[in-house]
Amino acid sequence: MIEIDRLTKRYGATLVVDDVSFAVEEGTLAVVVGTSGAGKSTLLRMINRLVEPSAGRVLIDGEDTRAIPEDELRHRIGYVIQGYGLFPHRNVADNIATVPRLLRWDSKKVAQRVEELLDLFQLEPAEFAHKFPHELSGGQQQRVGVARALAARPALLLMDEPFGALDAVIRSKAQDDLLAIQRRLGTTIVLVTHDMNEAFRLGDRIAVMDQARLLQYATPAELLMRPADDFVERLVGSAERPFRLLSLIRVQEALEPGHAEGEPIAASESLHDALSRLLWTGRKALPVADASGALIGQVSVGGILQRGRPLP
Amino acid sequence: MSSTASRTNTFGVVPPRPALSLDHLGFAIAVLIGVALFAAPFATYRATRIASGEARLLIEALPIAMAAALVLVALGVAIGAVLVRDPLSRLGSAVIGLAVLLPSLGLSAGYLTPADNTFARVSPSLGFWLLSLAFSLLAVDALARMRLGPYGRLTALAVGVSALALLLLSGIWDDLSILREYYTRADSFWREARQHLLLASGSMAAACLLGVPLGIVSHRLRTLRIAVMQGLSIVQTVPSIALFGLLMAPLGAIAASVPLAAALGIKGIGAAPAFIALFLYALLPIVANTIAGLSQVPSAVVDAARGMGMSARQRLVDVEMPLALPVILAGIRIVLVQNFGLATVAALIGGGGFGTFVFQGIGQTAIDLVLLGAIPTVALSFAASIVLDALVDLSKGTPA
Repeated sequence: MIEIDRLTKRYGATLVVDDVSFAVEEGTLAVVVGTSGAGKSTLLRMINRLVEPSAGRVLIDGEDTRAIPEDELRHRIGYVIQGYGLFPHRNVADNIATVPRLLRWDSKKVAQRVEELLDLFQLEPAEFAHKFPHELSGGQQQRVGVARALAARPALLLMDEPFGALDAVIRSKAQDDLLAIQRRLGTTIVLVTHDMNEAFRLGDRIAVMDQARLLQYATPAELLMRPADDFVERLVGSAERPFRLLSLIRVQEALEPGHAEGEPIAASESLHDALSRLLWTGRKALPVADASGALIGQVSVGGILQRGRPLP
Repeated sequence: MSSTASRTNTFGVVPPRPALSLDHLGFAIAVLIGVALFAAPFATYRATRIASGEARLLIEALPIAMAAALVLVALGVAIGAVLVRDPLSRLGSAVIGLAVLLPSLGLSAGYLTPADNTFARVSPSLGFWLLSLAFSLLAVDALARMRLGPYGRLTALAVGVSALALLLLSGIWDDLSILREYYTRADSFWREARQHLLLASGSMAAACLLGVPLGIVSHRLRTLRIAVMQGLSIVQTVPSIALFGLLMAPLGAIAASVPLAAALGIKGIGAAPAFIALFLYALLPIVANTIAGLSQVPSAVVDAARGMGMSARQRLVDVEMPLALPVILAGIRIVLVQNFGLATVAALIGGGGFGTFVFQGIGQTAIDLVLLGAIPTVALSFAASIVLDALVDLSKGTPA
């Protein structure tokens, strides 16, 4: 668990991060979102002490980060930035091996780990291990950047706008991949973005920052239904709110008995997807299938609409 | 009205290149060859080394069969330069041209010098220089069009140097005036050559030893960077002879008051002030390029390195220096080429080097002696720039 405790950063008279506190549970993904200049990156960089806090502290599993030597602390925390910062003079395998080599793993173990990560990120080792960063596409560079950050099996991963340089299609795929890998490895992630859609898509909890202060730290549903103030409400997007809410709810939760006509929808899809299918096909209801493909009921327009607003 | 016409001309569609077009450079080379063969003297004959020269046309300078052969080959090269576009063929014809031209200069010297006359001097004249310029241009242009990699360029240099060494060792040029000058002072030639190399590369090495660390520190500390760059820029504006002069007084004073310094050969004139002056000139390019090289390392790369827990030393050695190396090497290239030239001036204050021959030759109005100092200097600069250019490329290139 990561506890951020009254963290403050001051440059001269300017407050960049003002008394921010929140905690990230083990194995969850917290997104820090806000406009540019809100202090998100500075907050993130205080966690691995790239920026020294003016006041406050960060606890990782109860241990104060100031008690750990800087470099040692950073060996234990993965770090991915926008643009990735891959070493242009080293090939993919050597880039990924950076932290394990700093930790003096033996070379056999390093090679094994590199291969494992290339497989995990769907980069064929024979093809990619010896390529140089400039020979990779943007999406491949991004995957190498994340693989490099995960190489020494850190329990915590910090990501600063990791998808900022990708186009929309590749970004969406990269976000899915990140979620899948996070579920699989159980890594705790703190991710900074200015993109609200990305925050809703990835975050178990979202921290909204503005002008150095933390305005609200809550689950996506809470943020939608009970925004702390006008700024959060505007940032969340008043017009978008019902649709954002629907995309957080699985079809499973709006399941009704009955048999509808048409192509079945999976119970694990979101109500947002279901509604979009209903609108497009002009039907009033869709059959719902479970993971094995068996029909388990239906989902209707009326049922979906009831859930697109705050519960009384 | 006229403006409309000129606009359509400027932005109009460029007509496609005709299949068989005349090569502009090739045309210029052909003109050079024509002038050299028919309108310029091939060699100069002088009764003694300081007598005024008499021009000899190509047909007078060589036995008639040799002259005819040279004319034919040169005309062939000229036609090829205009019509043939394939770089390999162009290179081949330039090499054949040089292979005929260079030995024939030596033969001409033997032919023009009366037997048993050791005072007469034969030196190349305008026609020879134009021919060799034309052939070399063709060869260099062909090599440039072949876009050789660093290893290819080094090989080309090695082949050229070996060919030149072969010509010199074969003795075919021994009757030429410049080699006559060489043979009368072979000992001092190699002594001055060693001195020249020591001055130029020693001062460069010293400048690297101080300049690279200074550049690294200046890159981090802004105030130091501004002070260092301004100081070195001022040094760079002092003319070399003036700098030698400026160093005489303090070094003379040191030699007079510190016996150890005098014992080490440090005095107001000689090699020490020359070495120091070259060193000071070399510092600016080295420091400036070290700073520039380190500043162009992408900040995301440095940030990522720091974020992964690389210490300051690991970042410098494993990330920043390798990425700055091509720029630093480019600085070393500038320094080495500049030093080989500047070291010539060292002779003025008794520092030795090839400049000795240049200034002696000027004093005696013996142009051959001037060339004996100047030609090796130019050749060294040229070779150094090719070798370091190749090194810059190698340090940039990521192995495939």
